[in-house]
Amino acid sequence: MEYAIETFSLTKIFSDWWGRTKVYAVDNLDLQVRPNEVYGLLGPNGSGKTTTLKMLLGLLYPTKGKALLLGGDGSDPKINCRIGFLPEESYLYRYLNARETLDFYGRLFGLPPKVRKMRIEALLDMVGLKAVANRAVGTFSKGMARRIGLAQALINDPDLLILDEPTTGLDPIGTRQIKDLVLKLAERGKTILLCSHLLADVEDVCDRIAIMYGGKIQTQGHVRELLQQTNKRQITTDAISDTAVEKIRRIVSDENAECQITSPMDKLETFFIRTVTAAQQQAQPTSGAVSTTKIGDFLTQHEEVESILDKLVSAPVSKQASGDIPATEKVAAAESAGPKADEQLLSKLTSSVEPSESKAAAREEKIKTEPVESPTERQEKVRDDILDKLTGGSGALGRDKDKTEQPQAGDSGDA
Amino acid sequence: MRRIWAVAINTIKQALRIKVAVVFTIILFVLLPVLGITTTGDETLKGRLQTFVSYALSLMSFLLCILTIIVSIYSVTSDIDQRQIYTVITKPIRRFQFIIGKLLGVITLDVILLVLFSAIIYTITIYMPKFIKASEYELIEANNEFYTARASLTVPEVDVTHEVADKYTELKQRGELPANVPREEIIAQLTQQAQLAKRAAGVGQPLLWEFENVEPLADSMFIRFKYDVSVNPPDSQVWGRWLAGDYQFFKYGTQSKTPIYDEVIKHSVRDAHEIKIPAEVVPEHGHLAIAFMNVPLNSVAIIFPPDGLEVLYKADSFSNNFIRAVLLILFRLIFLACLGVLAATFLSFPVAILFCFVIFFTASFSGFVLESFTFLSRDIGAVYSYSLKWLIQLLPQFDKFNPTKLLVPARLISWSLLAQCAVFMVCIKAFLVLILSLIIFSYREIAKITV
Repeated sequence: MEYAIETFSLTKIFSDWWGRTKVYAVDNLDLQVRPNEVYGLLGPNGSGKTTTLKMLLGLLYPTKGKALLLGGDGSDPKINCRIGFLPEESYLYRYLNARETLDFYGRLFGLPPKVRKMRIEALLDMVGLKAVANRAVGTFSKGMARRIGLAQALINDPDLLILDEPTTGLDPIGTRQIKDLVLKLAERGKTILLCSHLLADVEDVCDRIAIMYGGKIQTQGHVRELLQQTNKRQITTDAISDTAVEKIRRIVSDENAECQITSPMDKLETFFIRTVTAAQQQAQPTSGAVSTTKIGDFLTQHEEVESILDKLVSAPVSKQASGDIPATEKVAAAESAGPKADEQLLSKLTSSVEPSESKAAAREEKIKTEPVESPTERQEKVRDDILDKLTGGSGALGRDKDKTEQPQAGDSGDA
Repeated sequence: MRRIWAVAINTIKQALRIKVAVVFTIILFVLLPVLGITTTGDETLKGRLQTFVSYALSLMSFLLCILTIIVSIYSVTSDIDQRQIYTVITKPIRRFQFIIGKLLGVITLDVILLVLFSAIIYTITIYMPKFIKASEYELIEANNEFYTARASLTVPEVDVTHEVADKYTELKQRGELPANVPREEIIAQLTQQAQLAKRAAGVGQPLLWEFENVEPLADSMFIRFKYDVSVNPPDSQVWGRWLAGDYQFFKYGTQSKTPIYDEVIKHSVRDAHEIKIPAEVVPEHGHLAIAFMNVPLNSVAIIFPPDGLEVLYKADSFSNNFIRAVLLILFRLIFLACLGVLAATFLSFPVAILFCFVIFFTASFSGFVLESFTFLSRDIGAVYSYSLKWLIQLLPQFDKFNPTKLLVPARLISWSLLAQCAVFMVCIKAFLVLILSLIIFSYREIAKITV
């Protein structure tokens, strides 16, 4: 399998009732997405992005051409097992509650009950809907429904994730979380096809992008190559003295170049997340989703570990999960001191069987296991960790080496 | 199978939580006991029971049919319209599994509700005598004519073709044929006359009917009859001598080992009556004869209509008969569930509902519909029998397999009738409908056109 997604002159013509051609929704599209790549499909409304996705997944039949997903047909159950799909809006059964919704999708994948239960709790925790897990999905706000939609796309731990406008309707924390998730999954070797017109999102996470218009790809390539201004340089330093600044100005003018020196602005996103996280730590009540920026364990671990983990973690999963973030549940978490001893043992077990784990994943694990200590101490540590990850951490999470050498495009590359 | 079951469970949850099934359930929960209290029939216990079972069973059957149509259509069309199907069908489930899951959900719901409400109806029926404190006489009548499952034996119309042909030739030879009347009409008239003669008994004359393979379960059996007279007597009643026993005794006059029933009784004309006769008159070989003599006390000829006489005997218990009646309803629901799913695979909700209701009501009067079509298309016989006739044959015949019609007069719903219904309505017609829906759904585009 050379490509994770490959299309051969994929064409979709919408005809009217008499069979007369009305619109070329997708026109001779040749798309190639390599394995372990985050690929962004961009384009204005009506440019054929969603139609392309629907054809990939067999929801629409191409008028001409062919599409291969993971080397097979997109409507073949064997292939579907390895795909996660989030449609452009979260189409959910309004009468099911959040947990039942995930359970239903888990059953469609034929997941055994223990694994299903474990993953559902982990995903609910991850998308911050644990507190409202027993409420009917029909009563959810758009953003909350979006989170459940995302959770259902991840329940099978897919190799290929197809996300159509994943961040619409989400608050900045949710958006950030999805971006972090995409990076994490890519780090684990997953392929992600992202369809969006929110350019900032795409810019932050994608390796390669294609811009569609009128059903055709107008341009495609690596984000960095497409966006880098080769005729300019940017230097970021700590707060240095005015004399040093003057020296730099002189050096630059010696090179016959112009130079602007200012204090960099914090991104509004970063500022927003910091404020909300602080409020969460003070346990202020909310009826909405409780964003934790945490990522489900089973998504960040390696395959062989996962099966052992599933077995180990499946029984006390609800207790373990309750030790985590949702601020409103902290009292209950502190009370259940007994089972925590077991958890400690469990965490030792789980951490000892994952020597090959990446650093980022290990850090995730740390967050999970630390609640063994006293509640206040735990709170501090969690906050440190989250802040660290939220503000500066995403650079360290970069998924390939050449990217971490460069400053993150989303954090500081937009001067 | 696990995946199919997941879809099925979801369908049941949907039906319950969007409250459509709940509403129907509440209606039945309220109406069935109310019917049990309010129905009086002809004030006898039997009359009450018959009216109650008739109304209750019809109401349950009707409401469950409507519910099945609505749920089966809605569960598929809402998934397509509200696009939940995008996330379902892209999971590792084949399209036919999705459809079968929906169907299974609807049928499971039907079975649950059917068992629930049948149990309610059955309980009310069984406790009715205690509830209204029925008298001993009424109870015996109800036991004989309601709490039982009676097989019915009828006599076929006698074949008079040869007789009529001879008569026609004779009339022709004698030149007595009326002029200007076509041959068919004369033949039809002659046939009618000849058949009437076979069913009529002049004063002092006998009529004889034969029945084979009679195997009564209980001690007694019944002759159910209705007769008419040539001239109405003042009190509208005539005498008749009824005999029943071994066929050979009547035919050849041989000595019978079993007793012979012999009674002279007076009955009103043009009403259905039942005479109770002991089952011991049936000979071992099961060949029973029943004779009627127009006694000279009357001075009029007595005529039995074509369906004027049948022999009823207990062949099974009421409970078993009731279970088979409920199964007949279930078969009907299974067909409707398949039909609903089929309609939903290519029609929108309102159109699919309309389509299914038309089929449902047509099927409920299928006998009438079939007859009318045959009658109306006499002039285009060839076209009709090669096109429309086949399509109409595909209609399920709800009225032919109507359990109420049989349960109320305590007629036996035989296993063969049940099997016939299962084969035609479920195995052939519902299966064809299901296959068609699977084909349509497998090849249609799931997503809407949005550009």
